[in-house]
Amino acid sequence: MKIKYAVILVLVVIVVGAGIGLKMFFKPHADVNKLDAEFKLEAGKLLDEFQKEENASTTKYSEKVLEINGKLVAKNKLPNGTNLLILEDEMAGISCQLDSSWSAANQAVIQALVTGNPVTVKGVCKGYLMEIKVSPAVVVTK
Amino acid sequence: MLKKLFILILLTASVGAFGQGKFIAKNAYISFYSSTPMEDILGESNEAVTILDSSNGEIVFQALMSTFHFKRALMEEHFNENYMESTKFPKAKFKGTIEGFKKEMLTAPVAIIKITGVLNVHGVDKTITVPGTIGLQDGKLVATSKYKVTPEDFGIVIPSLVRDKVGKEMEITVKSTYLPYGQ
Repeated sequence: MKIKYAVILVLVVIVVGAGIGLKMFFKPHADVNKLDAEFKLEAGKLLDEFQKEENASTTKYSEKVLEINGKLVAKNKLPNGTNLLILEDEMAGISCQLDSSWSAANQAVIQALVTGNPVTVKGVCKGYLMEIKVSPAVVVTK
Repeated sequence: MLKKLFILILLTASVGAFGQGKFIAKNAYISFYSSTPMEDILGESNEAVTILDSSNGEIVFQALMSTFHFKRALMEEHFNENYMESTKFPKAKFKGTIEGFKKEMLTAPVAIIKITGVLNVHGVDKTITVPGTIGLQDGKLVATSKYKVTPEDFGIVIPSLVRDKVGKEMEITVKSTYLPYGQ
């Protein structure tokens, strides 16, 4: 009788373990739209920080969710269809790649964006390479 | 209408400017692919930055490791935390020169080239010579390259438990569409 319970217990442990393992393996990418921004800042200030102290800023902001408010200077599409928004400066500004599933559901929001106007984006900061890279990102509408 | 014409003139002028100064691609594509019977792994980034100097055929290429995107979130996590140690070594860099470079290569149709230079990944430098192509494609200056690297050459340790799940060699694919940059 005791052996039977022991066998059941072992089986339960195996099934639960496998379940957790599979869940980890198939864990989906974080949905940036649902994440709260850790920092809310102006595009100009963020650029200033990265240009003055790249290493310290990378440590501070890399892999963090930022909400950035700035001037939209370019709206492009990459060859793979990803929407790209550039804030402040086309060469050395903030480059935001919009999340593909968010973009698909929010075509109207993207189309309504006009270069020269202010825009607020929320996304994961990836660091600095000539410009600040933010991806994936979404446009914040209020 | 006038605006369109103006843009057209600008575009024509910029094509005419090919062969001078520097060229830049801020959203160059780079991927690495490893295939084994167990699992295919593909990591892609559209955020590499590269500058081509048309005076001497020098190419500088940089990518942030954290911008590589994978199908599974877990792969991305392992890639950054266990293998590339992206917080310690956030960037991969390549600096090389096109062999037998001539300015005409940038205004001719796409042709095969060889590039030799130093690749720095995971903080380790390695001199490599890789095949590639460069030339005009649909009026744009496009460069591509495809080559293989071995993770162990760059001090990247893959635990023996998962060693057979990751290919012995990784295939790297690069594609950049350049635009004129400054003078």
